[in-house]
Amino acid sequence: MRWMWIDQIVEHVPGRRLCAVKNVSLSEEHMHDHLGSEVGGPVMPASLMIEGMAQTAGILVGSINRFKEKVILAKIVSARFDKDVFPGQTIRYEAEIERTEAAGASTRGIVKRMSQAGERAGAWEEIGAVELMFSHLDKNMAGLEFPEENFVFSDNFRMILRAAGMGDLAQ
Amino acid sequence: MPDASPISRDQTFESIRQVLEEALGADAEDITPEATLTGDLEAESIDFLDIVFRLEKKFSTPTKPFKISQGELFPENLMENPAWVSNAKFTDEGMAMLKQRMPHVDFSKFENDRDVNKVGELITVKSLVDFVERKLKS
Amino acid sequence: MKFVLIDHIVEKSPERIVALKQVSLAEEYLTDHFPSFPILPGVLMLEAMVQAARAMIGSQTPLVLGEVKALKYGNMVRPGEALELEVTLHKRHDDGSFACKGCGRVRRTNQAAPTDDVAVSGRFTLRPIRT
Repeated sequence: MRWMWIDQIVEHVPGRRLCAVKNVSLSEEHMHDHLGSEVGGPVMPASLMIEGMAQTAGILVGSINRFKEKVILAKIVSARFDKDVFPGQTIRYEAEIERTEAAGASTRGIVKRMSQAGERAGAWEEIGAVELMFSHLDKNMAGLEFPEENFVFSDNFRMILRAAGMGDLAQ
Repeated sequence: MPDASPISRDQTFESIRQVLEEALGADAEDITPEATLTGDLEAESIDFLDIVFRLEKKFSTPTKPFKISQGELFPENLMENPAWVSNAKFTDEGMAMLKQRMPHVDFSKFENDRDVNKVGELITVKSLVDFVERKLKS
Repeated sequence: MKFVLIDHIVEKSPERIVALKQVSLAEEYLTDHFPSFPILPGVLMLEAMVQAARAMIGSQTPLVLGEVKALKYGNMVRPGEALELEVTLHKRHDDGSFACKGCGRVRRTNQAAPTDDVAVSGRFTLRPIRT
């Protein structure tokens, strides 16, 4: 299981808003364990949808300073999912900056889902909201040892940024 | 248009109680005036930031924004000045600075301790109410 | 990889459960989180608490995570360490949802008891699946 919970950045207003989408597929490993008798059918875990929003909002916050600081999820202020997401659907994360300070940032976001087939195909419906707080690692964790470079970027991450025209930010 | 009439201490306490319930996931009955933020309510530095954001939002009006600067409500970045802190303890000058900067906190029992790492524990719910009241009046 | 975030149940009662999740470099997602600095992702700490809560509640109706409130992250959990979680049932609602409170402490390598280092703490609610 790769740790990449968004597929594509679809909208970016620097310093204000970033939207990303994620396809949910039965071919994903975790869907088969979130399928067992305790859960009753393949359902996208809400914890991983929170991560999708965290990655979306994290890119939004981090890109303000060209990713010079390591931005890490410090608090899930609130998260609510009124409906669940199933294989064959697409998730859309819409994140906006609420506040930024030297110590950290807070974001708010909306989660939407769309079916690719069936009655409601092609229509986005709002299914939840997630509010997060990020900490600027360098400022808040003096004394702990971190690798020099901005270690949050995997190859997939860089590729997603490049595809959205933000590749120069993640050098 | 005139500003709304000044809010009572009880109303201030109630608003702060709501903020702390939301920010800390604390139960209403645990939020008493004497409750300490870091001890009784288990708040940490990320919560301090969340609380500052929420208080600003809660107490701002269209005519009078409520803005809290860094280090005004919670003791932050105090270790930077060597005149204030020596060997992880506040000096006399440091203690005077604390009392002046944070009149909403009771330092009387802290005189004998002075440990920099423990100063956060002094902040109670009452400290927050005093802080907001003072600031609203100014 | 299997999406099973509980390795061992230490104690269990209808209103409280203590469980363990070990972190190992063999877990694939660690190569991305983060490259050259592997740590257990915060949302997997939350997922571990959710799975522990499900075991505690033992409901016939499948339950999923519906809400999270004031969940904050503190200490990191590294490969070779473990996360010891304590989840308690706060309230059972009429709509079939279960409000829970959870806390996770770090167990260092080879230790049989947790340290006081809190990795995660907060509230969450489990509810039936909604299509």
